[in-house]
Amino acid sequence: MKEESDNQNTELEEKFIRLIQNELNEDEKSELISLINSSPKIKAEFTATRELWSSLDTIKSPEAPAQMMSDFQSVLDNYKEEIKSSPFYSVRSGWARLKELLSYNPSLKWAYVLILLGTGSLLGYFWGNAGSPSLATNQEVKRLGDEVQEMKQMMMMSMLENPLATERIKAVSYTQELSEVDDQIIEALLTTLNHDENVNVRLVTLETLVALADHPKVREGLVQSLLKQESPLVQVALADVMIELQEKRSVKQMEQLLKKEGLNSLVKEKLEESIINLI
Amino acid sequence: MLGVKAGDIDKMGLLFERHHKQLFGFVYHMTGKVAYSEDLVQTVFYRMLKYRHTFKGDGEFKTWMYHLSRNLIKDTFRKSNRIDYLDDLSLHTSEMKSENMDDEMERKEESERLHKAVSKLRNDSKEVLVLSKFQEMSYREIADVLKISEANVKVKVHRAMTELKKVYLIKER
Repeated sequence: MKEESDNQNTELEEKFIRLIQNELNEDEKSELISLINSSPKIKAEFTATRELWSSLDTIKSPEAPAQMMSDFQSVLDNYKEEIKSSPFYSVRSGWARLKELLSYNPSLKWAYVLILLGTGSLLGYFWGNAGSPSLATNQEVKRLGDEVQEMKQMMMMSMLENPLATERIKAVSYTQELSEVDDQIIEALLTTLNHDENVNVRLVTLETLVALADHPKVREGLVQSLLKQESPLVQVALADVMIELQEKRSVKQMEQLLKKEGLNSLVKEKLEESIINLI
Repeated sequence: MLGVKAGDIDKMGLLFERHHKQLFGFVYHMTGKVAYSEDLVQTVFYRMLKYRHTFKGDGEFKTWMYHLSRNLIKDTFRKSNRIDYLDDLSLHTSEMKSENMDDEMERKEESERLHKAVSKLRNDSKEVLVLSKFQEMSYREIADVLKISEANVKVKVHRAMTELKKVYLIKER
């Protein structure tokens, strides 16, 4: 009997909330309003629910900071630059455009062959004369280049300390502008990959490190990172990288990770697949 | 979003402009942290940009946006186990202005108590309440975001209100 009454109360309470939220159809609405008006007790209960619901309006959230829009715009600009400057993008799009052009006009194919021959001859000529410019000028240019490189490195390292994730992403992307990446930068990137609190920063760092995977220290760092990651997204991305690099040393790490308690089921599946792929 | 997927990256800026304030409000109500909310919104949009090829176009952009946000919030919760919810409450309540200082104080205290009560709700109750009350979503939209039925949303909203009554009204007495 009591259970039946409890169920009725629950159903009534549910309807109160749906009435307040305008989620009842016309029939349900008029039926409920008549019921509320028929009993002072029900009316009091409905009023209490409605008042609590309205009082939630007093909780205000702060305005989204105004600079968010410009911050995102710079992330967007960086991303566009990144896509355009990616060698894969430019080679692919350039080659596609060239193929398209040559297929429109077969006579252009001969022009293309002649351009290639001409470029080859010019390169050969300059190659043969290399070494003649003055030594002093070469040294000066090299010194300036080194200074610029050093400044870029310093800027990147300090940006990695920024509390805003978007700034740290910019710092990581900045690595692509460095002509040489030394041990200090690799160390900083690996620390970011393993310890940055933001998953997105870690993912961007991972992408950057993959581009530097020729360096043995980077490869080793990537393999070791598998056991340092908590986020399923990063774990899956790392497993993909291990396959891409065909890094067989990672099998041991993956097997160890599989033993971890509470491992995400998708990650588990991914790791099992990756191990099969690598062995 | 389909435009972005097709390669018109600039359209992502328009989507950000249109939705970032609403998403900021959602994350703030879920976590109580301004800087974290700001970062998370940027992260969600960056991720949508990066993984634009995975947008199927059969659902709403907003649903996808909330899915990603919920996953990222869960990721943070999993890592740190809890979020100190009311860290930044003073940031905006202190900005409230009124001609009558006593009334203002009373309203402010009332609002803080209620805010605290909401923050103490279980995560699923808080989530459904935030989506329904503060994000003004219909039961249908909430069902899509949470991937549950409308009937289930109805039950969850009711449970959240019952929980809130317990936490807030009983303490008040």
